[in-house]
Amino acid sequence: MAPEPPAHQLVPFRWPAAWESPALLATLTGSPINCVIFDGAPPALSIAARKFGLLSREWKEISPAPIHQIRWNTPDPVIAISEARWPHLKPATRSGGDQGISGPTGAPWIESNTWIIRLSAARAPDKALWLQFTPPPDIELPQQAYRLAIADVFAAGGRWMVELDTRLAAAVAAGNGEALRDWSAVKDTLVFFEKRRAWRTFPHQGPLGVISSFSGANEFMGTEFLNLAARRNMLYRVIDRSLVEAAVFKGLRALLWLDPERPPQQVVRQLTSFARNGGLLIVHRDASAPFEAGQRLDCSVSGYELRVLGKGWLAVPERVWEDPYWLAMDVHNLVSRRYDPVRMFNASSLWVHYSVPPNGTGGLVQLVNFTGRAATSVSLRIQLPHKNVVIHTLESGGPAPLKPEMVEGASEYYLPSFSVYAALEVSA
Amino acid sequence: MRRDTLTRRAFLANAGATAGAGLLPRPAYSAQTPAAPVALARCDSYGADVSLILRKMFDQLGGLGRLVKGKTVAIKVNLTGNPDARLGYLPIGRTTWIHPSVLGATVRLLGEAGASRIRILESPWKSAEPLEEYMISAGWEPVDFVNAAKRVEFENTNYLGRGKEYVRFPVPHGGLLFPAFDLNHSYRDLDVFVSIGKLKEHRTAGVTLSMKNCFGITPCTIYGDGAGVNEPGLVPQGGRGPIHSGSRQPSKTSPPEIDPASPRDAGYRVPRCVADLVAARPIHLAIVDGIESMTGGETAGRNNRHVRPRVLIAGTNPVCVDAVGTAVMGFDPMAERGAAPFERCDSTLRLAEQLGAGTRDLSRIEVIGERIQDVVLDYRKAGAAPAAS
Repeated sequence: MAPEPPAHQLVPFRWPAAWESPALLATLTGSPINCVIFDGAPPALSIAARKFGLLSREWKEISPAPIHQIRWNTPDPVIAISEARWPHLKPATRSGGDQGISGPTGAPWIESNTWIIRLSAARAPDKALWLQFTPPPDIELPQQAYRLAIADVFAAGGRWMVELDTRLAAAVAAGNGEALRDWSAVKDTLVFFEKRRAWRTFPHQGPLGVISSFSGANEFMGTEFLNLAARRNMLYRVIDRSLVEAAVFKGLRALLWLDPERPPQQVVRQLTSFARNGGLLIVHRDASAPFEAGQRLDCSVSGYELRVLGKGWLAVPERVWEDPYWLAMDVHNLVSRRYDPVRMFNASSLWVHYSVPPNGTGGLVQLVNFTGRAATSVSLRIQLPHKNVVIHTLESGGPAPLKPEMVEGASEYYLPSFSVYAALEVSA
Repeated sequence: MRRDTLTRRAFLANAGATAGAGLLPRPAYSAQTPAAPVALARCDSYGADVSLILRKMFDQLGGLGRLVKGKTVAIKVNLTGNPDARLGYLPIGRTTWIHPSVLGATVRLLGEAGASRIRILESPWKSAEPLEEYMISAGWEPVDFVNAAKRVEFENTNYLGRGKEYVRFPVPHGGLLFPAFDLNHSYRDLDVFVSIGKLKEHRTAGVTLSMKNCFGITPCTIYGDGAGVNEPGLVPQGGRGPIHSGSRQPSKTSPPEIDPASPRDAGYRVPRCVADLVAARPIHLAIVDGIESMTGGETAGRNNRHVRPRVLIAGTNPVCVDAVGTAVMGFDPMAERGAAPFERCDSTLRLAEQLGAGTRDLSRIEVIGERIQDVVLDYRKAGAAPAAS
C-alpha cells in the first residue's frame, strides 16, 4: 500500500450523500482528488474508495469547526474550518440586471474566505487548512462559480473540501452530459491549482501588520477588519497577539494594534522600537497611553492624532473605533497606497493576494475575479524591483511571459483577458 | 475675434468682471453678459511643452502675477469617478480626468507668479479619503505637486473636511434649481478660484469643461444619496444621485431646491445646478485640458473613444472658455436642448449665461492664439477604439 501523502498534498472531496454507488468513484478519474470524505456512508463505499487508491476519511474524524471554536494546537496536520462562505459577488435584489448589492461606498459586496484563511495561517502556520462551505442550490454558470470557489481559497493559502451542489451531484450521477462537462471543468481547475500547490505555502506579505487577539470581545472588530481590509485590496500580514513577541516586523511599513487592551511593557518596547526605526504605529485609543510620542503633525486622515516617534510616527484615533468599515478605510489611508507592492487598474472587483516564496526573492501576485465576467484591460504596476514577470491563467495555463509597458514613466503589465484567476510570478 | 496679446489691465478687468458677475442681477440672455478673451493653444502631448504653452497662454491673457501674487489660490480639479478605472489600458488622465502634467504645470506657474498658498480641491466620488490617496490610486504622485510650488495643500471637499462648519453660498438673484449651497470651507477660504476641467462630453450636461467640473464642489454629506436627513452626514456615502434625479432634498440644515415640483429629469436638473454653482462660487480662471480626452461622456465603457484634440484652453470667464471648448469639440455653443451636444439636457452654457456669468456667443469672445476652425475635432466622428485585450 502506498504511503499516505503529506497533509499539504491531500486534495479532499466531500462525497455527495446521494451517491450510493461505488461505481461513481470513477467520476473522480482525471482529477487530483486523493482524499474522499464520507459522512455516515455505508462502509462499502469507504472500502471501495481505498481500493480505488484514495484515502478515506470520515467527516466526524476531521471534526470541522467554525473558526472561533478551532483548537489551534491540535496535533492533527489538518485544520478543518466549517461554516465558511460560498465566495461570490452578491447579486442584486433591488434593480435586477447585472448590478450587485453595494457596500457602504457603492462598491459591489463580495463574499470571500480570505480573512479566515489568513488568520488561520497566522495561528497555525504549519497546518494544512481545509475549508467547508456548501454551494447554494441554485448556481448559475456552475463552471464559473466552482472555479471561483476553488480559486478564492487557493489564493489565500487554503483548500476547499470540494462539495457539489445537490443538483449537480444528481446530474453527474445520472450521466447528464452538461453536468459532466461542468464536473470536468471543476476537475481541470483542481489540476491547475495542484500543479501550483507550493504557492499555498508562500507567506502573504503587505505593508501592514495587524495585531489582535481576534477573539472574545475583539473578535468582531478584528475579523471584520481583516475581511474589509482585504476587500479594499489592502495587503497585510496577520499577527496574532499571543505570538507578537516572536513576530518579525521586517518589511512592514506600519503596525496596527487593534485591541483596547494595553500591550505588556515588553511589547510596548517592541512596537516603539518599530516606530523609532521609521515605522508607523496605529494604536487603539484605549491602548495608547504607554506610548510616548513627540511633536504633533498635520494628519491628512481626519479623526487621528499623528505624532512623531523617533524616525517614525504614532497615530491614535480621537474616538474609539466602532465601525470596521471606516477603520479599514482610515488605516489604508494612514498607511497609504503608495507602499502597496502592487497597484491595479480596471480591477475594482478583483481581489489581490501578494505572497513571497520561502527563499524571500521575487513575489507572487494572485488575482481573483468575482465579477462573473471576463476581466479585461486589467493592468498592474509592480512596485518592487524585478527582472521579469510570467502569467498563469485558468484559460491558457502558463507560465507565459509578460512584457512591461512604459506608461507615463512607470512600468506596467497589461494582462490578457481572464475569467476567474490569474497569477503573476515576479522574478527578482 | 482673434488676437495674440492682451494687456494686463484688460486681463485683470476681465477677471474682476467675472468674479463680480455672479453677484449682480442681470437680465436673462442679456447682451451685456461679460465676455472675456480666451487663450487657445495647440499642445501635442503631455510632455514638457505643457508648462511652456500654459505660460504663454497666461501671458497672452495678461499674466498670472497680479491675479495671484500673495493670494491663496484654490484649484478645483476634475477627478471624477473611480480612480483605478481606465478606458482600455489608457491612464485616466488621458481620458476621464485632467492630466497630472496640466495640474503640475499650473501649480508651478501659480507658484512662480507669487501665489502664497495653493490648495488643490476635489470631492472624490463617494469618498472621504484624503485627496492624495485618491491620486495615488490613479497612479499619480501628489508629491510632484507639493514640489511644484511653495505651500501646496490638498483637501477633499466632499465633506466638512478640515473646516468647522459648512459655508453658505447664495446663488445671485435666487438661482435656477437651488437658492444657495452649503459647501466645504475651502471654497470660501481663497482669493482666487481656478477650475481645471477636461474637454469631454457629459451625458447629463452635454459638456464637462470648466463649469461642469464645479458640480463636484457639492459635498455628498449634504447633497448625496447617503446624506443625513436632518443634518449633514459625517462622511459621504453614495454619489450625487439626488441632484440628478431629485429623489430627495439636501440635509434639512441646507436650503432645499427652489421648486420641488420641477422636472425630476437629470437633463433639466444637472445643467441648472451647475449654472447655479458657477454663479454662487465664481471661477476666476478656467483651464480646459484638451490634449487628450474621450468621446461619449464621462463613464468609461459606454462606447467611449480616446481622442487627441491636442489643445489647451484658458481664460478668466468660464462661460467663454467653455463656449470655445464646446466649439473645439465640433459643437455649436449656441445650441439648445435637442441639438448636439445637448440632445438630452438643457445647455449649461445658456443657463450660466442667463445667470449673467458670461457669454457663450463666439462672436463676442476674443480667441487668442489658435483659431477654433484650425483645431476643431468633431467628437461625434473622431476617435479610436480604446486599447483593450
